[in-house]
Amino acid sequence: MWPQVGRRGPSREAQKAPALWRLLFHVLSPRPADDAAALPAPEAQARLVKSALRSQGYPRPALVQLPEDGSQGSRELLLALSWLLARGPLLERLLAQIRVRLGDEMPVCECEVLASPGPPAPRVEADGCVDIRHLQWLMGKLRFGWRNLITSQQEHCALLGKVHSYTRGCHSDRSLGHLSVTEAELLRDPEGGRQLLRRLESENARLEAALEWRRRELVFWQWMDTVLDACPPEASQPTFLPRIPERGAGELELVARELQALQEELQAVVETRRAAWEARVGGWGPGWKATQRASEEAVRQELTALQRAWERGGGLAQPHGPHRLVRSEAGTLGGPGLRATEVIKALRSQEACLEAALRQLQGQCRQELARLVGALPGFIWILPPGC
Amino acid sequence: MSIVTVQLGQCGNQIGFEVFDALFIDSHCPQRLSSKRENEAYQASCKERFFSEEENGVPIARAVLVDMEPKVINQTLSKAAQSGRWKYGQHSSFCQKQGSGNNWAYGYSVHGPRHEESIRNLIQKEVEKCDSLSGFFIIMSMAGGTGSGLGAFVTQNLQDQYSNSLKMNQIIWPYGTGEVIVQNYNSILTLSHLYRSSDALLVHENDAVHKICAKLMNIKQISFSDINQVLAHQLGSVFQPTYSAEGSFHYRRNPLGDLMENLVPHPEFKMLGVRNIPQMSENSLAYSTFTWAGLLKHLRQMLISNAKMEEGIDWQIRPPLPGLPSLSKMSLNKELHFNTSIANLLILRGKDVHSADLEGFKDPALYTSWLEPVNAFNVWRTQRAFSKYEKSAALVSNSQFLVKPLDMIVGKAWNMFASKAYVHQYTKFGIEEEDFLDSFALLEQVVASYCTL
Repeated sequence: MWPQVGRRGPSREAQKAPALWRLLFHVLSPRPADDAAALPAPEAQARLVKSALRSQGYPRPALVQLPEDGSQGSRELLLALSWLLARGPLLERLLAQIRVRLGDEMPVCECEVLASPGPPAPRVEADGCVDIRHLQWLMGKLRFGWRNLITSQQEHCALLGKVHSYTRGCHSDRSLGHLSVTEAELLRDPEGGRQLLRRLESENARLEAALEWRRRELVFWQWMDTVLDACPPEASQPTFLPRIPERGAGELELVARELQALQEELQAVVETRRAAWEARVGGWGPGWKATQRASEEAVRQELTALQRAWERGGGLAQPHGPHRLVRSEAGTLGGPGLRATEVIKALRSQEACLEAALRQLQGQCRQELARLVGALPGFIWILPPGC
Repeated sequence: MSIVTVQLGQCGNQIGFEVFDALFIDSHCPQRLSSKRENEAYQASCKERFFSEEENGVPIARAVLVDMEPKVINQTLSKAAQSGRWKYGQHSSFCQKQGSGNNWAYGYSVHGPRHEESIRNLIQKEVEKCDSLSGFFIIMSMAGGTGSGLGAFVTQNLQDQYSNSLKMNQIIWPYGTGEVIVQNYNSILTLSHLYRSSDALLVHENDAVHKICAKLMNIKQISFSDINQVLAHQLGSVFQPTYSAEGSFHYRRNPLGDLMENLVPHPEFKMLGVRNIPQMSENSLAYSTFTWAGLLKHLRQMLISNAKMEEGIDWQIRPPLPGLPSLSKMSLNKELHFNTSIANLLILRGKDVHSADLEGFKDPALYTSWLEPVNAFNVWRTQRAFSKYEKSAALVSNSQFLVKPLDMIVGKAWNMFASKAYVHQYTKFGIEEEDFLDSFALLEQVVASYCTL
């Protein structure tokens, strides 16, 4: 679809809007839908596009007001598309998502998993009573699911290790040295090899289309400038609030009030502390001011360094995302890329941070429970066996 | 994924042999209705799970044999070796020169710690042979002396060593008219300890299996070997390969994990029972035909009337009518001797397995109020038949089936304990009265939890 957007002129309006809705849907939906049967209806696609754009901060309210049946709005949709293109490396991101992977890959960070919205949580009516045994059942299922997942993961790794060590020396690329599972399958099963070839060929076609797009990109932007100019001037922008469901509004107000109270409390505490500190420090000489400034600066730098380290996933110098596994002989320096030991170290430190956070949250839960229990006299807590 | 079996005591070792034999024979059983490729996949899956490969091609059972005296272990080892089909590892067994007087406390407090390291090393070696470990089977009797005490200790050890691996204890529930006077003490101590350190307790009742041998298999002189073979058949019908999903043709990698996730996620409800249908002698098999409808109807009634075999089922017991409030439903069920289930796993094997109608098992009346059939009921279907049965069904259920027997044992043990009879045999070796009281408390809680379903 990509190169065709550039080629279409500003005519044939009625056919363009539905196509653009579909295009935006494919770009914005969490996983590119491979299977045509799984696509939602056009109205649903349009709704999803609107909400996704809104959550990303799309500034033009005219899009929200477009009808979802695809009868009009191609200009507004084009503007939305160009906005997405201008914001970030959209094309590269999409190509990376669907590229053919030949190696055995493993993620080194959780960013992709955390960023994707995941399946919608099942709506459970929490108004009625919930049997605690049902909750315990679900918790237990989660725990078993987790254990089974770990075991599967271990099996996967053990088998990968076997494939890698058995095929040592078979790869034409010396820096890799051994085959991946896909490559080994290629040799074992010719039909699989043909399928892989077809996938690689379609990937080539996609890459060529992307290159062609890059060649014509300038024309596209020049054209979009004219489109934008041709738009009627925006009326006073209504404040663009997300729609809150009715029940949620009450809870939201509660939360807002609690936040307000917390903020005031925090303010009061900070004021008293600051006043006390000033009182102690006030009498000191001008030299102190300089030291104070210096230490403030040092703290600020340390804070930003910590933040940067945390954002980069515990100090890993390499970019995020999946990495190809390459098994090298002990002692050899190997090529560029991460060492498994570094990744393990970074992941362990992340694990420690998360465990500390978990313990803190559990402590808070226990305190809250204790508070609730204290409010109800005559309660005896009986813990289940094994606790 | 592989399962490592720990065979404990006389009971565990004799049963363990029959289990491996049944699994092996079934996986090499000539199958008229399955393709060659399917058969090979089935064999490979079974083999990977329960056997490891040796150079000269004879599969070696993934098992560790433990007993405090050498007689039964030697018998088991030679039986396996003589069969020529498969064998046990040369260095997979641990035994002492002489037994030690059938004392639970001695097994738990003395044998356990004394031989902990040797047993642990044996298990470790077996685990290292696996590409990936799904979990452990621990086969042991519940009411025995040394074997049961040691078994409780070993299970606890496994919990510490392999906390992420799954553990299923295959427990042999003793005959109601047992001979050992302290068997009730042993039973409650074993059960309470296992409840804390195991993930699932799959209970095989000697009385029930004995009846199956007598009534269904028409065996006149029932030996332990006959009983153990029926038991092995039951286990095999559960753990032999099954397809991983409806419509898939790949065999499930981790049946133990999937079973546990479906049946025992709740820490208070860990007791499982198995029922099989059909069960009959080979001679009768040749003259019988079955329909899925008939098999499932009987199996369902076996479940709700707590029958252990397909003969002598009480067809009067019916599920209660819907719409009753849960409290009165509970007392009504009790009056009617209706066996309420928490969760059920149905495993169907054989011809036309996809045509079987399962609606009977999805009836909410069968289940407790806090778990809906969509969560409580699971089915695994495989076309490849099991053993010589053209169609067979196994039902693993977490239900109230053990409440009465358990209550009885706890009651008897408590009566003895109230007069402190024989308690000194235990305190002599470090099992204090406190431990008894803890066991009683835990098991009373289990009985109460199952009763208020």
